[in-house]
Parts: sequence; structure tokens; C-alpha cells
Amino acid sequence: MLLCRDLEYKVGTFHLEGFSLVLQQGDYCALLGPSGSGKTIILELIAGLRTLKKGSIIIDGKDCTLLPPQRRPVGILFQDYALFPHMSVFENIAWPLEIRKMKKNEIKRTVVSFASDLDIDRHMDRMPGSLSGGEKQRVALARTLVVHPKVLLLDEPLSALDAPLRDQSVLLLKKVSQTGITILHVTHDQAEVRFLANRQITIGS
Amino acid sequence: MMFLRLNNTTTRLVFLFLSGILLLFIVAPLLGLFLSTSLPDLFETIKDTDVQRSIGLTLGVSALFTLLAGFFALPLAYIMARKEFRGKAFIQGLIDIPIVLPHSAAGIAVLGFISRDSALGRLADIMGLNLVGSPFAIGVAMAFVSVPFLINAARDGFEAVPERLEQAARSLGASPFRVFWQISLPLAKPSVITGLVLMFARGMSEFGAVVIVAYHPMTTPVLIFDRFNSFGLDYARPVAVLFIIICILVFMALRLLGRNKKKK
Repeated sequence: MLLCRDLEYKVGTFHLEGFSLVLQQGDYCALLGPSGSGKTIILELIAGLRTLKKGSIIIDGKDCTLLPPQRRPVGILFQDYALFPHMSVFENIAWPLEIRKMKKNEIKRTVVSFASDLDIDRHMDRMPGSLSGGEKQRVALARTLVVHPKVLLLDEPLSALDAPLRDQSVLLLKKVSQTGITILHVTHDQAEVRFLANRQITIGS
Repeated sequence: MMFLRLNNTTTRLVFLFLSGILLLFIVAPLLGLFLSTSLPDLFETIKDTDVQRSIGLTLGVSALFTLLAGFFALPLAYIMARKEFRGKAFIQGLIDIPIVLPHSAAGIAVLGFISRDSALGRLADIMGLNLVGSPFAIGVAMAFVSVPFLINAARDGFEAVPERLEQAARSLGASPFRVFWQISLPLAKPSVITGLVLMFARGMSEFGAVVIVAYHPMTTPVLIFDRFNSFGLDYARPVAVLFIIICILVFMALRLLGRNKKKK
């Protein structure tokens, strides 16, 4: 499903060399490593937000190495959720579908269905600034999943949440992983992925 | 402790005094101008067709060239905010040149650009047009001296938009242009509007560069100068007062418009 072969990338003093990864469909892989080890950079390389120096990225049998981010079948959930502050919850989730020129009634139906699954259907008219951390995360997750990416990249998804919300989020991510999507979860905390990941990779500093 | 409190009070008093002097420096000449203009003179000026025409020309040309410049300035502002490249400091220096140039020199530069000896002037000549002394020349002069205000304000606005939001938008399937149009520009809108208002204001108040490229048709700043030069202060004053009132009304309207849109 996801094949990264000999990735090489350099920015400033950071140098990634010879990074390889093979994930099968439905795998939940934890990418562990200390701060500054380049975990987020690896996610950004897979998502196409950074340009590789060498290596190749193959997703679902398709060579995506040279594809721009908008053409990769990848969804990414950022640590700070990156919700669009000028759009309501509904507009945030609907936006990727509007890009894909989906019909309005179909967009509404899809957004309502995802929002209901993620228990955010009562917040549809609210603006992101008024949401709690957990609500923001679920909105961002809905926005990412609504276009059915083949691979879901999670950048420290639990680090901004306090303990009770964290447990809820773990259950939510477990539920998402059971849909058969391939997940790469970046974290520096091994404990948070204990009940989630079936694979684990550790990178050094 | 007592000493510190005393020291704080003294500092506050000195700051208040200095601030008051500066505010007085701004208000006093304007107040003097308004107080020394009689209402009958002002009403007479409002009815003066030359004044009406010049105000219409000034506001119209400045607004049109502000919008036209925006079409080119916003992409440049976005590049300056987002990209790192060799020579960026040089480009920023180029953008700021019109701010530091004496405006008469800017006028001479623009005149050279549009006169019959220039490529643009020759092209216009072939089509039977003379750019010098036209509303086009006025607009070019206004835009030349005022466009840095738009570029710099918009650049600051784009810089304040977290790059993460643009990356999220790309990963959700948006093209770079859609990201600019639907994410970056709406989020930078307050700064872009401020830049447009600043450019419009700076353009319509321009005298030095405009007077060199077009004495006629007269913009209001040129008309004020012409009346002062030909008939004296008493004739120039009511035009100046009227123009200031119109400027204040226009800016209040633009600010209110911006605020209402923000609320929506």
C-alpha cells in the first residue's frame, strides 16, 4: 500500500538518508523518535509537501514521487489540526468535496454522515476558534477522511490533548483504523500507540 | 517603593505631555484651516464645476489604478511573503524605491516612461493618443508613488497566514491557485484592504509626481496649488477644506465597509 524506498532529503543541518518503509493495507504503523529526528519531515515527504532529493514513494501501486500534494491519495492530520479559521465546521469538512466538484446535496449528505460518525454533528455552524481541542481534532479528521485517502498520516495527533480527551481520541483512531485505511502515526510517546499500532519503527536523532 | 511610584507617575506625565504636543501638531493646522473657512465660501466651492470635476477625476483615477495595481501587486506580495530566493532583498529594495524618491523626481521618471520619446509613448502616438497630460498619466504617477503601500501591507498579511493552512489545503486536493484564492487571500483580507485604502489615499493626495505628468486635467491637489498660486490663500482654502472633508468621508465609508464585511 505504502512503499518508501531509500528516501533522501536535506534541509539546513538535517539530513535524512536511506529511509525505507513498507506498509500493507490496514497497517497501523507508529513512527517513533525523539524531537528533531525528522518524523514530521518524513510525513511531509510522503504527503508531497517537501521535495525529495532521492528515493521513491509508491502508494497503492502508483509512483507518487513526482506528484504534487493535491494528486496524492494521502490525508494528513496536522498536530495543530490546521482548520481553516474563516470557515465553519461544515465548510471545513465540505471544502475538499467542493474542490472535487461534488453536487451540493451530495456534499451535505456526506458531511452530515461523517460528522455524525465522529460526533460533531451538533457543531456544524460553529467556527473553529470556538471549539475545544478534541472537537477540533475530530473536525480535522472528518475533513481528512471525507475524501477517502488510501493512507492517513497522523502528526502527533494526541500531544495537544489532555488525559481524558486523549483516551477518547485513542478509541476514535482505533475505530478509524478498523475501516481498513493504512495509517502512519508519528509520535515521541510509545505509550500512546500501544493499543493502536500493529507495527512500530523507531528513528534516531 | 515610593520612589518607584513617583518615577512611574513622572514617566506617565512626560509621555502624556509629549503625546499631547504631537496630537496638537496634527490637529492645529487642520483646525485652523476649517475655522478660517466660512460656510458661504464652502458652499460656493461645492457648486464650482471645476472643483467638482477635479474631485471626480482624483477619486476616480486613484480608485481605478488602485484596483488595477492590485491585480499585479497581490501576486508579488504573495511571492515576497512565501518564497525565499536569491535577490529577494534587492527586489524588496526595488519595491520601496518610490517611497524614498522625491516625488518630483518620481514624476520626471514617469514622464520619461510615457512621453512621446518612450516606446510606450510612441505606441500611443501611432494610435493617435498623447499619454502626457491624460488621466492615464495621472493614474500612472499616482500608482508609481503609492503601490509600495499596497505591496507591503499585503505581504505582511500573507506572512501572517500560517503556512500550515496552505499545506493542509494542498493535501486536501487544492491547486496552488485555489489555495491562494480561497485560503490565503481571505485570511489576509484585512491587511489587503488596509493596503488598498492606503494606496488609494496616497494616490489621491499625490501632487509632486502628478503635476509633472499632467497639469491639466487638474486633480484636486493640483487645483489647490493652482488656486493658491494664481489667486492666493483665500481661494485655495475652501477647496482644501472640501477635499479633506471628502477624504475623511471616503475613508470612514471604506472602514465601515471593511468592518461590516468582517462581521458577516
